Amino acid sequence: MSDLWAGVLEALRLVVTGDREVREIALRTIYVSGAATLLAMLAGVPAGYALARLRFPGRTLVLGLVNTGMGMPPVVVGLVVWLLLVRSGPLGGLELIYTREAMILAQFLIATPLVIGFTAAAVQALPPELPELLQVLGAGRVRRLWLLAREARLGLLAAVMAGFGGVVSEVGASMAVGGNLQGQTRVLTTAIVTETSRGNTERALALGLILLALAFAVNLILTRAQQRSG
Amino acid sequence: MEVRFEDVEVRKGGRTVLEVPALTLGRAAATALLGPNGAGKTTALRLMAGLERPARGRVLLDGEPAGRAARRAVAYAFQRAVFLRGTVRENLELALRLRGVPAAERARRIARAAEACGIGHLLGRDALRLSGGEAQRANLARALALEAGLVLLDEPLSGLDGPARAALLADLPGMLAATRATVVLVTHDRDEALQLAQELVLLIGGRPAACGPAGEVFRRPPTREAAAFLGYTRCGREAIRPGALTVGPGEREFAFTVERVVDLGTHLAAEGRIGGAPARAAVPDGAPLPAPGSEVTVSAPAAAVLTYRDDGRLAE
Repeated sequence: MSDLWAGVLEALRLVVTGDREVREIALRTIYVSGAATLLAMLAGVPAGYALARLRFPGRTLVLGLVNTGMGMPPVVVGLVVWLLLVRSGPLGGLELIYTREAMILAQFLIATPLVIGFTAAAVQALPPELPELLQVLGAGRVRRLWLLAREARLGLLAAVMAGFGGVVSEVGASMAVGGNLQGQTRVLTTAIVTETSRGNTERALALGLILLALAFAVNLILTRAQQRSG
Repeated sequence: MEVRFEDVEVRKGGRTVLEVPALTLGRAAATALLGPNGAGKTTALRLMAGLERPARGRVLLDGEPAGRAARRAVAYAFQRAVFLRGTVRENLELALRLRGVPAAERARRIARAAEACGIGHLLGRDALRLSGGEAQRANLARALALEAGLVLLDEPLSGLDGPARAALLADLPGMLAATRATVVLVTHDRDEALQLAQELVLLIGGRPAACGPAGEVFRRPPTREAAAFLGYTRCGREAIRPGALTVGPGEREFAFTVERVVDLGTHLAAEGRIGGAPARAAVPDGAPLPAPGSEVTVSAPAAAVLTYRDDGRLAE
């Protein structure tokens, strides 16, 4: 219990004193996980919409794969991306291994099935007549998609929250493809692992609390948007 | 607005679900597409709304292909009243905005449609929390507010409980009269069709089995199949119009085996069979009740008994 209090006090100290390293790690975490979530939304929302609306051979198989992907261990994704990006790998020439871009790619792969799954569920919950109603009313394709997205906004914001929550808290993939390089690819989760392994439990706990606060702040903003629009 | 089907065929899953060689609608203010489930009624409506394309042939609205004309000329009330989040007014507003109606005109049209459909008091209500009857009225109001040339109604009374259905059925003719549009509605209920439409197209098995003024189609179904769907009692080569049979002697008499006597509230009726076909005959006021199992004479006016040829077509 005393460790916990010490961790809370350390977290407050780090925040109040504006510890430069912690601030950089926190900002890097937001940058990497935010970019990965944004890209996952760009790819996952249209894919989820298509999966919900279209009927094609193998659709159930694709849905099954997406659902499996929603629970995929990040470390496995990290391993696959590492094998692709490592210098001797098929994409080694891109020299992305141990960069923030590699971490974004890995987190994108983790978040995308979550976004697809949540989007598909949100779109499937809409009345099936709605797209045709908008079509008959004269809404063009883009306007229709916009109105449907607005209608499914509760589910879509849940998709953002699930995607961001999934990647901001993962450690395996970031460690594997980012390398946890100080000042370059270290994010909150990998920093916690490092501090724990060094025996700096209070600092590790403090970073954990900052991570929780960060996730809470982002989700609070999204939840407020979700509930206001609901 | 004139709606013309030209050599239309719609195929789904490898089979023909609708085949209309030639059909013109719109001569009357309201046309009912009547037929059993799976007869192709909704498919025909969707073709007019440009939501489906035929595998062959074309559907024209005032000479223009439906796919092109529908987005400005058609209002479609789906069988299930669906709305977006927001109030009823916001839903009507959006529909009119999508059709490019200016703001001042939108307010005027919403007020007019709301009054015609009796939903003035619902305009501020959450559209997703309406009762079945309220939602269906709001659905109709949205369609009528568009003031389109062609109004398509898919089973406008489906899913409503008895009182809500009766109330809307009573009000619908007035609502439809308030619009200058051509109305085409889909129903599987004969009485509903006769009450709401002046023109009737009877679809059976994906093909028009009868077409013409509603009362005329009902009084003289052109085929035995059409007569059977309209509730006629089949009796050999003859068919007897529903509601025409009375227990006792008359112009055309038939032997009737009584199964039971039922009290329909307004009158008593004997249910039983004529030559094996199920039939119902009214029991006149004060007449003795026929005993179940007995054979009695029932009769119908001669004009209510039609004769069909061996090929199933109405004999002149």
